[in-house]
Amino acid sequence: MLSVEGLTVRADAVELVREVSFDIAPGERVGLIGESGSGKSLTALSLMGLLPEGVRASGTARLGERELVGVPEGRLKDLRGREVSMVFQEPMTALNPLMRVGAQVAEVMTLHGRSRAEARARAVELLGRVRLPRPEQLARSYPHQLSGGQRQRVMLAIALANEPGLLICDEPTTALDVTVQKQMLELIAEVAPALLFITHDLAVVAAVCERVLVMYGGRVVESGPIREVFARPRHRYTEGLLAASKLTPRGTRLPTIKGSVPAAGRFPDGCVFRNRCPYASEKCQTEPALTGDGHAYACWHPAD
Amino acid sequence: MPTHAGTPLIEARDLTRVYRRPRTSLARQGEAVHALREVSLTVRRGERFGIVGESGSGKSTLLRLLCALDQPTSGSIRFDGQEITGRPERALKFLRHSLQIVFQDPMSSLDPRMRVRDLVAEPLVALGEPIGGRVTELLEEVGLPASAADRYPHQFSGGQRQRIAIARALAPRPKVLVADEPVSALDVSVRGQILNLLADLVDELGLTLVFVSHDLSVVRHVCETVAVMNNGSIVETGPVDEVWAAPEHPYTRTLLQAVPTLEGLL
Repeated sequence: MLSVEGLTVRADAVELVREVSFDIAPGERVGLIGESGSGKSLTALSLMGLLPEGVRASGTARLGERELVGVPEGRLKDLRGREVSMVFQEPMTALNPLMRVGAQVAEVMTLHGRSRAEARARAVELLGRVRLPRPEQLARSYPHQLSGGQRQRVMLAIALANEPGLLICDEPTTALDVTVQKQMLELIAEVAPALLFITHDLAVVAAVCERVLVMYGGRVVESGPIREVFARPRHRYTEGLLAASKLTPRGTRLPTIKGSVPAAGRFPDGCVFRNRCPYASEKCQTEPALTGDGHAYACWHPAD
Repeated sequence: MPTHAGTPLIEARDLTRVYRRPRTSLARQGEAVHALREVSLTVRRGERFGIVGESGSGKSTLLRLLCALDQPTSGSIRFDGQEITGRPERALKFLRHSLQIVFQDPMSSLDPRMRVRDLVAEPLVALGEPIGGRVTELLEEVGLPASAADRYPHQFSGGQRQRIAIARALAPRPKVLVADEPVSALDVSVRGQILNLLADLVDELGLTLVFVSHDLSVVRHVCETVAVMNNGSIVETGPVDEVWAAPEHPYTRTLLQAVPTLEGLL
């Protein structure tokens, strides 16, 4: 379905994402986790052709028969919102405050060739599908009249409008309350055709996805089935991240990873994690390759 | 730990705060919003008190009242035996000394045009206190090098910025530290460092901690006591381990079930 190979993103001389490769099968839900600055959002934006000015992607990403990387804007416009669509973190800034939500859902369909009447009717249907109450009335409201969770459901309806083959969600529940988040995650898992789910929250990714890619410093450092990666992490970064996510009882020290995530372009060469890794040795000055079948990792001193 | 540990330090009684929405008609007043409904709580000296709630629960309103940044519509707050509601700002100097706040987002709570030295010293300047070698001392306390003093906030990572915000809050040697979602904007790998630092400082300096979070599991790690807020009221309060193990209020149960965890997987 989606096949990404050697995806590299640069801003001038600074390499922000390096040689990222992965596949997503139809119906598969894949999580992309990483901290801020790991390159996870840039990876998603390059699949959507939405990279900011001055940032360029190279490599290939094939969705079915179509190439997504390095395609001229004219052709991308056809694909975006039809073959691939995306739900962003902040539903307040992603929706047009001056347009009724029903019209916003319909717009993405008329843009891809449906008649207005048909699009309107289907918009209401979609709002119902993302389990918004009384969709006919709700279609006539403006974004500010909805709660954060409702707005995010509208975003999801827009993303699903043209029945895309791939749905990308970038931190779709980070701005939501936990009780709302739970419903939203269940909904996404249910309606997504194939899913690339980006988050910094390990527990969230575990709730939604079957497979996970761990990014750090613009590379995929570990990937595999979620249970395996989380139960038996091999890369020292994944190991540290998992340890840091567990909140130990009061009065005990929380395990931490020393230092902080370097700024873009300041990651060490060789293994990107070596300046924070307690196991780093001279060998780590050479870049480890992502190896392993199914459960893969790029580490010279893996955990067992 | 002060000798009178366990005595009440903050006592809030029947706090209500009503806001008015802007009017939409000339004939009628704007609609009233009850942000806080008769909330009472007691924070004892040396206690780590957590406040948990989702957006709109009233936790921020409560916090603003406890810090005397806003006045309640009715109710009273006694801090160390002194009433703090209804006082003009100039009569609140003792509170500004004794209670300091660390905010959620160190990017917006630190003035980007000020050097760290001035940011950390500012509370002392405002309270008319000598600065001396206090800045270096404070930076060391929060684990930053003395050389950090000459740099600007943008030159630091999120976690380091939160350390600067903590150093600034500690400058006037407060008795109470109020932390409003201090780790929500931080990466997981740094979150632990800041929580460990807060725990150390509270221990070493004998502070009382009021810790606000949307995440009950973080509160459970940090605090002894928790108050769960929903819709402007405290729906449940008690020792955090009891609330965690056997939540009594239906809302607390919903909240606990909704939190995604890794435990089931590992």
